[in-house]
Amino acid sequence: MKRLSAVLSLLLLVAFTAACAAPAAAPAAENEGTASTAADADARTICFAYQDLETEFWVAGHKAIVETLTGLGINVIERNANEDANKQLEQVKDCIAQSVDGIIIIPQDGESAVTIVGEANKADIPIGVFNRPPADDSNPALVIVADNEVIAQQAVEYMAEEAKTLGRKVTPLIMVGDLGDPNAVGRRQGFYNVIEANPDLFNEVIEVPTKWDGALALSNLEAAMQANPEVDFLFTSSDFMYPMIRSVLEPLNKWQVAGDENHVILGGLDGDSRACQLMRDGYVDATGVQDLFFEADTIMNAMLEAIDAGETQPNNWMDDPGFALTQANWEERAEDMWGCKLFAETGESLERSFGE
Amino acid sequence: MERIEAKVNKVQAASTGKSRPATADAQSGISKAIRRLLLSEYFVLYLSLAYFLVLLPFIPRIATPQNLGNIFSNMWPLLAVAIGQTFVLIIAGIDLSQTSIMALVSVIGAAVMTSELNPVLFEKAPLWGILLSENGGPLAGSPLAMPVAVFVMLLVGAAIGWFNGMAVARLKMPPFMVTLVGMMFFSALAIYLVKSENIIHLPASYVEIGQGEIGFIPYSFFIVGVLAILAQLLLSRTVLGRWFYAIGTNTKAALVSGVPVIRVTIMAYVLSGLFAAVGSVFYSARLAAGRPTLGATLLLDVIGATVIGGTSLFGGKGKIIWTVFGVLFFVLLDNSLNLLNLSYFWVQIVKGSVILLAAAFDVVRTRLLAAT
Repeated sequence: MKRLSAVLSLLLLVAFTAACAAPAAAPAAENEGTASTAADADARTICFAYQDLETEFWVAGHKAIVETLTGLGINVIERNANEDANKQLEQVKDCIAQSVDGIIIIPQDGESAVTIVGEANKADIPIGVFNRPPADDSNPALVIVADNEVIAQQAVEYMAEEAKTLGRKVTPLIMVGDLGDPNAVGRRQGFYNVIEANPDLFNEVIEVPTKWDGALALSNLEAAMQANPEVDFLFTSSDFMYPMIRSVLEPLNKWQVAGDENHVILGGLDGDSRACQLMRDGYVDATGVQDLFFEADTIMNAMLEAIDAGETQPNNWMDDPGFALTQANWEERAEDMWGCKLFAETGESLERSFGE
Repeated sequence: MERIEAKVNKVQAASTGKSRPATADAQSGISKAIRRLLLSEYFVLYLSLAYFLVLLPFIPRIATPQNLGNIFSNMWPLLAVAIGQTFVLIIAGIDLSQTSIMALVSVIGAAVMTSELNPVLFEKAPLWGILLSENGGPLAGSPLAMPVAVFVMLLVGAAIGWFNGMAVARLKMPPFMVTLVGMMFFSALAIYLVKSENIIHLPASYVEIGQGEIGFIPYSFFIVGVLAILAQLLLSRTVLGRWFYAIGTNTKAALVSGVPVIRVTIMAYVLSGLFAAVGSVFYSARLAAGRPTLGATLLLDVIGATVIGGTSLFGGKGKIIWTVFGVLFFVLLDNSLNLLNLSYFWVQIVKGSVILLAAAFDVVRTRLLAAT
């Protein structure tokens, strides 16, 4: 009897599944109808799937996208993959099953982005990739990405100019991000462009891998500084690592403002509020700035236009030109940096006072 | 408690010479039915079915073909890994290294068959110049790349399982410690071998294993389904299967009874490693990359699904069919929580609570069975 009832239950489940799957013969028409109805009712739904929100850049980007979309009356389904690419793939497939009108992702890395974009393409749902581009452009998508190589190069060029004023060779160190992320590759390349252009200025480069992980960054930087205490030129591939840098440099008496003989020429990339504060206070010489709000607006506008136009596989790679904020152009450009805007919103002044 | 109540009723009926009233009989019948349900080995299947039907009016999209397709495609790779975990749980062990085995074999398999590598990313990898080059792995472009790579993955998975089993059975080390250290060691090794980079440009035939479907049924259903049946037959129809249960129930008694405890224990861990490698094939194929962090967050799902199915953490009890039901319920739960648009934190809280309840329920069931 027990076995019979179990088998009957199993059969019921299978039958139910089959019944549901039966209309799959005409899924396109059915889905179009659903999407159209939703659009008519102006109740568009966008799935926003992000890998995690571990840095201020992602938190601010997440806030900008979600608040803007919900402000437009768009239903936003959020998915956090907790840095698991496989989980993110499953989450995006869940969103596809909900027949969302569009998908915006912050992928875990460029490789998984290609696969996830492919899933959206198969389902004929437009997909946008925010800031971290797919490893290749084999699958069509809307992509907004900063020109990381150029921005990093601009920041490091300013740092190199500062190094030249010392009248000696300097020992450069770069904290490298996750090289599975094209952004990290671009930033590293921008750094090396300057190093290679100035062979007489730099000693051998010391690379510190971080994988975009704070704990790993701290332990690897500690080890690198123990082995190479002469480092006096440091570029971090992301501003979120400044607290780790400070905790390593401070005990070595190297956490000093510009102009001090122990000052390490310091630069980074992102443009967050911490970098803004550290530049105002004189610890950081330059930072490459990704225009976060421009990127968020651009990807959202492109996505909404694609949905309105009925484009299911829009393909457009858009550039955020960005810029380098330096101690030299601080007065003119500080207010253009997204991190300084957030910093100023807390009531802090952007007036510099170091070296007075 | 029920037994005492039943005895009291019996004594009362005998002493008064009256039969029990009809309502008491009805209550007793319901109680027996609930008891039968709780003790049924199909309880989790009933639970999954009930959960699905209860949710249906609230989230009708749970029954859409796409969503059912998602549940099915998410279920089979997890089941492959969970089957391996079932073997070690039955012998009262545990394998925490399964996810790191997945990561390591994913990287090794991809290194064998990749057709192209970016030197900027890989030139500092220890395998560069030995196994890897700009032209990919040693079997790049060969029609044998996929089958050989899969074979190597399975071989490495089984070898790591053998290593774990030797440490547990021969050296008498605690399984928890052996596999915990294994988890750290092999996941670090995976990261070291490729310097944290993902290996892409895998053969289309390999990617098809993870992404291919017949209708809406993924290939993984057929492969893992066959493996599950074989695993169930191994447990239920072979002497080796009976030895697994004997060791899990009482190792000393099994030893005295002539069970080759050491060899059987090693075999359980070999199977665990082998099935972790099978899971790795599916997970890395669906992502089209060998990933050194593959499965990093999957351990809770694997052990949770196995325990929810009814396999006991104390050993001596478990069936592959239970694990199938456990994985079904776990994937259904995960899927439904996503469809309810709960935040990641709530999803994790609910999943953790369900696993805890399942573990508590296992204790209750064990006591009920002992009292029967």
